[in-house]
Amino acid sequence: MKNSILTILLFLPTILLAQIDRSIRPVPTEAPIININDSEIFKLDNGLTIILSENHKLPKVTFKLVTGAKPNLEGAKAGLSEIAGSLIMSGTTNKSKDELDREIDYIGARLSATKNSLYLSCLTKHMDKGLSLMSDILMNSNFPKSEVDRIIKKNESNLIALKSDANSIAENVQSKANFPGHPYGEVMTSSSLKNINQENIIKYYKENFVPEGAYLVVVGDITKEKVLSISSKYFGKWSGNLKNETALSNISLPEGNRVIFVKKPGAVQSVIKITFPIEIKPNNEDYLKLKVLNNVLGGGSFGNRLMQNLREDKAFTYGCRSRINVTENGSWFSAGGNFRNEVTDSAIHEILYELKNITNELVTDEEINLTKSSMAGGFARSLEKASTIASFALDIIKNNLPANYYKNYLKELASITKDDLLDVAKKYFNDTKCNIIVVGNEDVLNTLQIFDFDGEIEKLDAFGNQVKDIIQSDITKEELLRKYLNAVTSTSSEKELLKKIKKIKSMEQVSELEMSQMPMTIKSTKLWVAPNSQGDRLEGNGMVFQSSYFDGSKGYTQNMQTGKKEMTKEQIQSKKLAYGIFPEMNYSKTGINYELLGIEAKGNKLVYVLKIEDGISETYDYFDKESFLKTGSLSIRKVKDKSEETSITYSNYQETNGLMFPMTYSFNAGKLNLKGKVTSIKFNVKNDFSEFK
Amino acid sequence: MNKLFLIIPIVVLSFFNFSQKQIEYIEYDLENGIHVILHEEHATPIVAISVLYHVGSKNEKKDRTGFAHFFEHLLFEGSTNIKRGEYSELVEKNGGTLNANTSHDRTFYFELLPSNKLELGLWLESERMLHANVDSIGIETQRSVVKEEKRQRIDNQPYASFIGEMFKRMFKEHPYNWQPIGSMEHLDAAEEEDYINFYRTFYVPANATLSIAGDINIDQTKKWISKYFGSIPKGQAINMFRDHELLTESDFEKTYGIEKNKFITNDFNNPKDKKAKNILKSLEDKPINIPRPEKASNELLGLIKDTIYDNIQLPGLFMAYRFPEETNDDMYALQMMNDVLSGGTSSRINKSLVEKQEIAQFAFSFSFGLEQAGIGIFAAIAAKDKELGDIQNEFDRQIDLIKNNLISDEEFIKVRNQYENNFISSRSTVASISEDLANSHVYFGDAAYSNEELSKYMSVTKEDIQKAAQKYLTQERRIILYYLPKEETE
Repeated sequence: MKNSILTILLFLPTILLAQIDRSIRPVPTEAPIININDSEIFKLDNGLTIILSENHKLPKVTFKLVTGAKPNLEGAKAGLSEIAGSLIMSGTTNKSKDELDREIDYIGARLSATKNSLYLSCLTKHMDKGLSLMSDILMNSNFPKSEVDRIIKKNESNLIALKSDANSIAENVQSKANFPGHPYGEVMTSSSLKNINQENIIKYYKENFVPEGAYLVVVGDITKEKVLSISSKYFGKWSGNLKNETALSNISLPEGNRVIFVKKPGAVQSVIKITFPIEIKPNNEDYLKLKVLNNVLGGGSFGNRLMQNLREDKAFTYGCRSRINVTENGSWFSAGGNFRNEVTDSAIHEILYELKNITNELVTDEEINLTKSSMAGGFARSLEKASTIASFALDIIKNNLPANYYKNYLKELASITKDDLLDVAKKYFNDTKCNIIVVGNEDVLNTLQIFDFDGEIEKLDAFGNQVKDIIQSDITKEELLRKYLNAVTSTSSEKELLKKIKKIKSMEQVSELEMSQMPMTIKSTKLWVAPNSQGDRLEGNGMVFQSSYFDGSKGYTQNMQTGKKEMTKEQIQSKKLAYGIFPEMNYSKTGINYELLGIEAKGNKLVYVLKIEDGISETYDYFDKESFLKTGSLSIRKVKDKSEETSITYSNYQETNGLMFPMTYSFNAGKLNLKGKVTSIKFNVKNDFSEFK
Repeated sequence: MNKLFLIIPIVVLSFFNFSQKQIEYIEYDLENGIHVILHEEHATPIVAISVLYHVGSKNEKKDRTGFAHFFEHLLFEGSTNIKRGEYSELVEKNGGTLNANTSHDRTFYFELLPSNKLELGLWLESERMLHANVDSIGIETQRSVVKEEKRQRIDNQPYASFIGEMFKRMFKEHPYNWQPIGSMEHLDAAEEEDYINFYRTFYVPANATLSIAGDINIDQTKKWISKYFGSIPKGQAINMFRDHELLTESDFEKTYGIEKNKFITNDFNNPKDKKAKNILKSLEDKPINIPRPEKASNELLGLIKDTIYDNIQLPGLFMAYRFPEETNDDMYALQMMNDVLSGGTSSRINKSLVEKQEIAQFAFSFSFGLEQAGIGIFAAIAAKDKELGDIQNEFDRQIDLIKNNLISDEEFIKVRNQYENNFISSRSTVASISEDLANSHVYFGDAAYSNEELSKYMSVTKEDIQKAAQKYLTQERRIILYYLPKEETE
């Protein structure tokens, strides 16, 4: 074997070396020409598109199959696609998992699957065997129950292990913060895992693994002729169509900088992510400019601003970077790294400073030149990998890029100017509407408040759900309600309370609401008549937006979009459970579910938290620990797989007719913000619901 | 099952006909001792330039651990002709990328550049070798950066301390006792003298291998190498050159007994003065003594069991056996044994611990081959509510099986095929080729080893694998670490 090696041992003779001036830097020789070969693209009758990039350098070939299905909301089954992906190779109608595993390993191949792809890499000589296994999995996966159970169990343990990994926690929280109500914002939890079963996994596989819209990317030591024969042999019988796509919800920036904290006991560093969604798709002509901009800020080269400032200048970290993720279905920016506890706040400050700076000032000539050269070099280097040419072709087709996009890449890159970068910086980046995520030791928490626009840090768990520090209550739920009712009625005993309430047969409350988004006043009228008739009306600009009426056993709701509708059974039940001018008086009689969770801090006050369930919503009422008056309420309503949150805060309690009512309140539901002012409260008015019907 | 037999004949036929393509290269030594390896291929217009210094954490003093790695950071700081921060910038603005890494045995620097910038890369690496320049700001900054690196990679990562915990127990005397990241206290305690000595001892031509692969012209490349690396003084003369740049005239004269101005920087190797010539010659002829530790003795004599409390949720089990050094012929059989146990989804450990018994989330074995000793590791993270004791029992059962029986024919063919595939895949970039050639030269004494490695694996028999298992998987001599969750302190 040694003979075949060209080994020349050369001992150079001792020569007198010429003088050398080391301060003179070498200049490059003539630039090499960068060739980008074309890929071959063809389509099978079943809709599968095949992209081939031949490369015979090594006796290897890879096949990557990517489905065309869009991500879907998984809601209560968050994690379904991931689980399905990890189960695709768990057996087919022809072979057990053990057989598949053995046969793949036997030929030394790699075959793997994700929720939307299959990938085979093997030596050319083992290609047929590899493809027969890949196509069997693609078309005949049968998801045996025992494997489904095993993988679900394994994921339960994974979810537990995840709690010790700060970076995974930060990823979870980032997804949820940037993409509420969007598939990218869904995170698997132990409760969503419970809703995933064999049946819905099979459904996922059948709907998503179909040839329509799918691509097979073939790279390596294979000819076009061979690809044509293997693709019809192994993928020709594959069939199926994509189901109709549901539109993805729009994503918006937070109102102001929002600090989100996840506690990680024992952490010696904080993982920081400063992140926000950006509205851009891969085929947007701004995309390449945005890449250059991000590389100046914190991507690509070591010379970027974040690395130079936070590592080379301040030594806060081993690495600080930023990245933009741009996809057809949603895009986001993220900057950060791991920082020792003591400099957590300083690191946030510096990252925000760099964001602000880059959106306000032109970058320097040196920066843009360095970045562009570095990107051009990276482009050339990427061509060494056989898969690059094919991924270019896939990118062009999938994202509707111009056909010559990569051939013109270096030219396009060269033409980008400093002004272009400032334009895209202003358009896509910001330093005042960011999600600032910190996963770390609780010791750093009190340094973070200054970054939050409303001063209230959101504390989440490892899966991005709210955590509250609740301490045990010092009184029972019955005592709490008694004290509340005495407080709002200015009474001191139950007897006095009942006597006072008995006199009130009806009440009408009118208030004015201001919307933060629109200069318009809305009038709200609520009428209650004993024992349990209720009317509700919202109007403005001479129109009634919404009204409802309930007579104690049935009722209607109507609004401008949906018209008039009879109340559902659940709605009626919920009205029956909470009746009376102060429904709390009747909780014990109606059998409504309520529970005193404990005491927590809200702003600078302590409040009791009472959880109430009426079959439609979960409501959390907050009562001031000193005055026992109700300070607010958070109501969470599940609609199909989504949940809607409504929160109300009450303030400025005043006495009217011997009873205490909040004269101002604010109302918040999603993007809707309303501030209300009570203009009149009348008692024992006429029993007239005609205007509500 | 039957289907499997159908494919066996085909695979058997391909047995003796491995698809490995030979790597062609030339190699030579410069007079100052730098070993040069050049591989020419023109598929992509890029070139990988690497310099391997044969210094790692095992060359460190006991009270200065972490120095080799720390030096790797410092040597990006600049040189006499390169300002602080400019080193990486020069590479990046020329469309290149660069990095370095430090192991127990070596420090490895590389640049990937467009092929027309090869000369720049050679100049940069020769500057690093001849007269790197490190100021106190650089030292302070990199000290903190390295501390953050340790926090990020080890202290803040669940289970990540296990390698260090194993080595500490496995190598009581040998400097493999500590990890390349070293001790932060030692870095804090270091003084200027320590830095100077480290550079002057280990960063010298005779300790370096320059390996270049890619779109190059061999003749032109040799000329440039001669210009930038050939001009680096030989033997102890390199440190005189460094002193010539650093010391004052009087200090220089005091040290070398000759006036500084008898030498000129740009033509240091050819002084006109006769005395200068003689002094230079005598230093050139004195090699620099590079301290290298004795090969580790077979120290592990008994069974060590310990428990470590970490910021984790699921308990973990880690076991270690003493393996031989990576150049030992037994290593081929041990690596293949590992693949039977742990290579791929169908491997024994994955099938039994993870899939059938469901006692582990992840379980694997691997071998850690170093220049002077090796370690074989078995590791598993427990599944929810499962006991580490059960995991250990199953590992032990698997170890008994492989010691007491030959592996099956099917497994044997499988691991051979896996080797062939991995081997071919690992040669797909010029960067990996340049590194592979350098490693072969330094550790195996011959770059040609790169072309022989696969046949070494292919000559391993089933019996060799069983024998290796019996020899090295010694149940009465091993380390067992239980990782348990720390109590949460609220």
